[in-house]
Order: sequence, then C-alpha cells, then structure tokens
Amino acid sequence: MEATQKPEGTGGAAGLNLQHLGQEVSVPAGTRIVSQGEAPEFFYVIQSGRVRVFRETEDRIRTDLTELGPGTYFGEVALVTGQPRTASVEALEDAKLVKVSKQEFDSLLDQNPQLARHIIQQMASWLVAGDTRLETQVVHQVKLRQVSWFDYLLMMGLSVILALVFNLYNDNKIALIHGWGQTGVPEISLDQAKQELQKQQAIFVDARKSAFFDQEHIKGAMNLPVILFDLMYPMFNFTLEQTPGAKSKTVIVYGGTISRRMDVDLARMLVSKGLSHVVVLQNYRAWDTAFPVEKRKPKAAAGMPLGLPGLLEWIPVSIFVLILIPPIRRSPYLSVFCRLLLGAIFISFALSKILRPAVFALNVVDYGMMPSFGVNLWALALPWAELVVGLFLILGIRTRAAATLIAAMNITFIVGLVNAILHQMPINCGCVGEVGEPVNWLKVMKNTGMVVMCIQIFLYDRFLVLDRGGFILRDRKI
Amino acid sequence: MKKDLLKCAAILVIIVMGLVLGGCGESRSPFAGTYKSVEPFAGKNFVDLTLHEDGRGTWTLAGKTIEFTWVVNEGKIWIYTKTGAIIIVSPSDSGRMLSADMTGDWHPGCPPNACIVFKRVSEGG
Repeated sequence: MEATQKPEGTGGAAGLNLQHLGQEVSVPAGTRIVSQGEAPEFFYVIQSGRVRVFRETEDRIRTDLTELGPGTYFGEVALVTGQPRTASVEALEDAKLVKVSKQEFDSLLDQNPQLARHIIQQMASWLVAGDTRLETQVVHQVKLRQVSWFDYLLMMGLSVILALVFNLYNDNKIALIHGWGQTGVPEISLDQAKQELQKQQAIFVDARKSAFFDQEHIKGAMNLPVILFDLMYPMFNFTLEQTPGAKSKTVIVYGGTISRRMDVDLARMLVSKGLSHVVVLQNYRAWDTAFPVEKRKPKAAAGMPLGLPGLLEWIPVSIFVLILIPPIRRSPYLSVFCRLLLGAIFISFALSKILRPAVFALNVVDYGMMPSFGVNLWALALPWAELVVGLFLILGIRTRAAATLIAAMNITFIVGLVNAILHQMPINCGCVGEVGEPVNWLKVMKNTGMVVMCIQIFLYDRFLVLDRGGFILRDRKI
Repeated sequence: MKKDLLKCAAILVIIVMGLVLGGCGESRSPFAGTYKSVEPFAGKNFVDLTLHEDGRGTWTLAGKTIEFTWVVNEGKIWIYTKTGAIIIVSPSDSGRMLSADMTGDWHPGCPPNACIVFKRVSEGG
C-alpha cells in the first residue's frame, strides 16, 4: 500500500512546508489518480476532498484498503522503494491535491527528517498490520480445514431433533423403545420345556420371519411371524384347531434375538387372542442347542430391480479406478463429484426410511447386532442423519465433518453386511430398497467405495464450499 | 452472505422438489378397487381386500379389519402394515387378479404354500 493517513501527533501536510514545492491539481470525483502496477512519478498531498485506496486482482476482485481526506498524503512508498505502484487511488469526490515530483520528494525528505521518520514508522506499522492480516487469513484457512466437535454436534443434534419431532406427527410413528412398559409373559426353563416336549404336551411356535424359520427351527415347530400376526393368525388358529389335543398343550414361543424379543411380543398377542398356557423360553437364545432342530441350506434373498438409486450405488465402485491416477486422486473437482454423489445417494436412501421407520427398524432387527433398546432410536435417527449429512455435503457446509460421519455410517454398514454374509443370514440389505435386496460382497464393495470417497473429500475438498467466511467458488489462496 | 444464503435456499428447494417429485411413485388408480380371495383363507373365511386410491387400504377377515397403506412400485403393489411388515402383491390379467406373497419377503413368483390369490370385485377405491 502506498498511501497513509495523517498520524496522530505528527505534522500534517501543512507542516511540510510545501509552499515552494509541487503543483496544485484539481481532480473530479471518480478520477483514478494512481493505478496499481504503473511506474511511480509523483507524491500527492490532499488539500481537499476524499480519495479511496484499493487493490485489484487480474480477475477483477477488488479489495478496498482505506479512505484518505484533507491533510493526508499518498504515493510515497513507491517513490521510496522504486517499485511499481502496489495500489490504486481514485477520487471519491472533487479533490484538490498537491502533486510533488520524485526529485522534489527526495529533496523534501533530505530537508525534513521528521517526514522521513514518519514514513518509516508508517511502513513499519503496515508490515505489522500485513502480518496480522496474513495470520487472520491463515487462521481462516485452517478453520476451513478443521473439524470441530461442534460440527458433529450440529449434525447429530439436528438429526435427532428432526427425527423425534417428525415421529410425533408421522402416521407411521413408532415407540422410541420397542416394548417399553409392556407386561411380561410367563417363562419356562429349558429343562421344563424339554420335559413338556417328551410328554408331547408342548407346541413350539417360532416368532421369526419365515426366511429364518425355513433356514433353521426346532423340529416340528410352527411358524407365526410376529410381524404378520394380524394377517396370519387365522391360518395359525385353524392349524391349531386341526391338531388333536392342541387346546390343552403348552404353547412355547421362541425366536427372540438381542435386537427384538419377538417371542415375547408374539406370546402377548396369543394371550390377547384368548390362548391359555402360553410361555416363552427362559434362555431365549439357547433353543438351537437345547432342542433337536431342522435345518435347510441357506437361501439368499432374491434380487429385485431397485431403479435409479440402485444404479447410483454402483458409481462409488468407480472410485477404485480413479484413485489410481494421482492427479485425479488429489483433485478438488473429484471431491466435488464425490460430495454430490454421496449426498444424492444418502438423501435418496434416507427418504424411504424416514417415512416408514417400522420397516427400517425390522431391517435393523434382522441384522441382530443392535441391542433391543437402541433399535427404534437408531431406526428413527439414522435416516435423518443420512438426510442432514447428505444435504451438508451437497451444500458444502462442514464437508469434512459430514464426510467423516458418512464414512462412520458406511463402516457400520460394512460390519453388519460382513457379519450377515458370514452367518449366512437370509435377510435383505435394507440399504436402498425395503425388500428384495440381497446381502452380498458387492454391497460390501460399494460401501467400501463410499468410505474411500469420504477420505478423498476429507483430504482434498476445497471448492464450492460454504465455510465460516462465506461461499468459496474457487480456491482461495493466501 | 445474504446471497450465499439465497443460493443455499435455492439449491435446497431444487433438491426437495426433485426428491418429492421423484418419490411420488407410480399411479395407484389401475389397481384401486375391492378384491376377494379366490379361496377361503385358513379353510374358513374369504379375505376382502380394499385398495383406496389415496394409498390407504383394508384387509378384512371374519369381521376383523386391518388397515394398511400401499404404493405401486415397478408394477407391483407394496402393502405396508403398521407393524412394519411388507406384503408384495403381483398383479396379473391387467390388475384383475392379485397374488399376495405372505412370507413378508420378495420371491420371484408367489410361493405356493404362502400365497393368497385375489380377484377384483369392483374398481375404484
């Protein structure tokens, strides 16, 4: 910068004894007096009017530096350093200036040590101010790259609040904790159940989905999936009526998991239908080792066409090819692509789950990894988290934190998928579609691709982002 | 900053509109109507199935009615029960016949031991 305001306590232009120096000039408002980059020829002292000092980049980004009024001067820095003008000056209103040539300025400095000292002081203070500005910019850039706890709190808090409020007004609302406050049902120990079985006084009823029942169940058990109770009970009741002596037998319900006590739910429903002698197994997870079982070869869920979201999900696999090319791997444009794609995928996934949380809760139950108290909370909050984080990615808000959260979700999904594959569970993925979506290694690969995309965003994203200082259309360099 | 917020709002509106329009699904009207099971369910009563055009529906058996919602997806009818179960129903004969897969999963074709076939009684819901 090459202009200055009159410092406090120093002589102004009047004190410089300019009577025999320079040439008075009148400048109309809007006139550019000094242009950035030109060779310096004159030093100016303002007698009346106001001027503005500014810098402008090649692509026309303008930064206003200061405004100067009567008694101040500008143009001295370029004369001292011999460098081209580092800023432009234009008149804000009609102004009168004293225009001093370089020779006159040099002689003025020789004769006026007070002015020379003042100029040195000014330049030193600019250096300090410049350092401070640079530090501010660096802090700004660092903050842009930082991930704070607040970012996570913001996204997770927003998701939970939206989930809870939406659930209040959703026609398909679910309880926050499944089975909370419901009365218990009588239990029977494994030994007693075995005795009942030996005496042929027991009817075993499996409460799980038919796919699980088909894969493995207690020999001779009946299947009444608790989720289809209302629709299937008449068939069950009819079968019971056809079984000789069934009315006097003990109905032993089993099939509960860590994620949902379907056995308890079904037992309650059977009692509500007027059945007496309904009990659940005490050690609900031991039925497959305590009783003779019938097994069938596991069958994977059949694949149903999933439409556009299913196709979108394939694109992350391409990331494995793209990251092999170093310039592309580090490209911020690839980050933008990854953000838009992941955002679109997660938003589309979220919407189907948000409207029908009970369906998604059953998907979570199928995986058998989430404790029962967390299933409904997870089923409510996760889709909203997917939606919020997806929007943050697309809009470019807190993208590094958003990418971290999406990566965390994907890692959770991968763990669930691998567990389901290794245990040959006959379940639907619940990723894109609600049914007809097999769990397989391709799903694992797609989710891994999405994790890689998140890492790319975390490391290289810096375009089209809305940071704390405004929208960055292009790379902001210091 | 104000401009930035406007840009964000515009992007949000576009996204939400796209999602809402994309999420509307297929028209329900070809399948709206009342249906009756071809055979008695559980050897006793016939099942009455009503599909209203607004996405609501009822399943009535022996005087007991269960409410549900339904959508059309890829030419199939998806019935959503309150408990979270999904029944996939495959229409045939231009929607005059419906086959409901009672396993709660999707299988190519209706499993014979868990399939209820309905015939259309009247159109419209």
